[in-house]
Amino acid sequence: MHSDARPPLALTLAAIGGLLFLHLPIVLIFLYAFTTEDRSYQFPPPGLTTEWFAVAWNREDIWPPLYLSLRVAALSSGLALVLGTLCAAAMARARFFGRDTISLLVVLPIALPGIITGMSLRSAFAIGDIPFSTFTIVLGHATFCIVIVYNNAVARFRRLGASMLEASADLGANSFQTFRHVILPNLGSALLAGGMLAFALSFDEVIVTTFTAGQQSTLPIWMLNELVRPRQRPVTNVVAIVVFVATFLPILAAYYLTRGAEETAGGGK
Amino acid sequence: MTPAVEFQSVSRHFGAVKAVDRVDLTIAEGSFFAMLGPSGSGKTTCLRLISGFEMPTSGAVRIFGEDMGMVPPNRRHVNTVFQDYALFPHMNVRDNVAYGLMVKGVDRRSREARAEEMLSLVKLDGFGGRKPAQLSGGQRQRVALARALVNEPRVLLLDEPLGALDLKLREAMQDELKSLQQRLGITFVFVTHDQGEALSMADRVAVFNEGRVAQVGTPSEIYERPATRFVADFVGSSNVLAPEVTEAFGGPRAWASLRPEAIRLVSGGRVRGTVTGTRYLGAGTRLEVRAGALPGPPSGEHDGGIAVLVPAGAAVPAVGAEVALDWDAAALHVMGDGA
Repeated sequence: MHSDARPPLALTLAAIGGLLFLHLPIVLIFLYAFTTEDRSYQFPPPGLTTEWFAVAWNREDIWPPLYLSLRVAALSSGLALVLGTLCAAAMARARFFGRDTISLLVVLPIALPGIITGMSLRSAFAIGDIPFSTFTIVLGHATFCIVIVYNNAVARFRRLGASMLEASADLGANSFQTFRHVILPNLGSALLAGGMLAFALSFDEVIVTTFTAGQQSTLPIWMLNELVRPRQRPVTNVVAIVVFVATFLPILAAYYLTRGAEETAGGGK
Repeated sequence: MTPAVEFQSVSRHFGAVKAVDRVDLTIAEGSFFAMLGPSGSGKTTCLRLISGFEMPTSGAVRIFGEDMGMVPPNRRHVNTVFQDYALFPHMNVRDNVAYGLMVKGVDRRSREARAEEMLSLVKLDGFGGRKPAQLSGGQRQRVALARALVNEPRVLLLDEPLGALDLKLREAMQDELKSLQQRLGITFVFVTHDQGEALSMADRVAVFNEGRVAQVGTPSEIYERPATRFVADFVGSSNVLAPEVTEAFGGPRAWASLRPEAIRLVSGGRVRGTVTGTRYLGAGTRLEVRAGALPGPPSGEHDGGIAVLVPAGAAVPAVGAEVALDWDAAALHVMGDGA
């Protein structure tokens, strides 16, 4: 096997076709943010304009959903960072009966269809007589955000090893000092990456949000509602670009952060 | 004088496993003490009982007369050189060494000056700015040593300190550890499974077997007068003789140990035998001799053979040759029990 051998033509074409299939729709969404036709998406667009950015900026109904989405994403990823890290610390260090079962239970929410999570949370809120609010949306999002943080943190904890924590205690550090000076610096990039992924997931979540939001709408829900109305359609595409940037940049950053950590695994930062 | 470390009938059980079983030990201040034994013999657990990472199931561990009870590791005036060194990968060497002072709240300038002093003590001047990943195994070991010594512990614990080093470096570090201990005058307690290391470095050796202390003594006591069959066999692989063989060899009817290097090849000795194998060791040749007309084979791993060490320079008989063996009567060491 030669690594520099050229792949067969058919394989190259298939790969290009696959990439186009995945990414062409996104490009089209970007394209229609600049169209001059505001009632239907016709191809090719009759003309190009940037006026929809100004229109979107001045539409007052966009801002509350945007703020809500940002707040929910920040709160749920923050909550996930605390709970996910604690959970990972416990699972990585302790050996107890039923540990594997609990480990599965922690990871389960991400495998569970969002509709199940949403329905069960909704009925739980109804039973508990909890009114829908930002808080209930955050709780819904935290279910899968915790998993993201947990998965990132638990892998790093395993690599940290027990003897380094023992060395810290042996040299006179209390648990807080060990956490601050040994665990956190070694965990930092993993937590940042987990937090950013969680933020991105929360920011564009629709299904769980519809079950836990009540009267408020987050940005993705606002877009869903907007698509059925024929007025100023390209504004929705402008917002789509915002959502894309807000979710894509954290994911990209998380990718580079975790990759860098692996390269310097033995050498620290 | 109060001993540096004292074990009073200490046991540590993990479920049904008695990792440490009713151990009594006294480690004098300023001594170089070795805990020697095969893996699973309880020596490492004993070290962790001193550092505080294990708590006794029963009995008391005292450090300078003070019962450690439930005192956590960070409040004990002992420090450990870990087997895998456990250096902090995200800190440079200087910060690693200064760590113990940092968590005590010593200001940056004094702790860095002190760290540099410790680095020069272990001959690593100028390495302060490097990361542990940029050091060789031997250098990492020195950093771990400097880091453990910076807190001025009254007892330094070393867990298989030389296990990861190659032979040449290991011998150099043995001498260095020994002279460091003499210069600093603090108590060193080290765990090893290497009997040569224990005998050459330590003032006193405790031999562990199955969670119990088989014998405590100076290296020469351990080597020359092993208390049990286990000690005789584990330390320097002696010929362990069953009572009937001892009797045939001119001793009392009891278990005995006969060192291979104490046996001479002569023309007319106490016992005659046939050479069944030879192993060249450099400083000598080890013969396996099957002695004729013995009531039963010696026990243990020397199934029927007597090991004889022929020093370098002397003539080595070929396999199959008839030889006669002789030794000084004092070399036949009768052991107290049959354990």
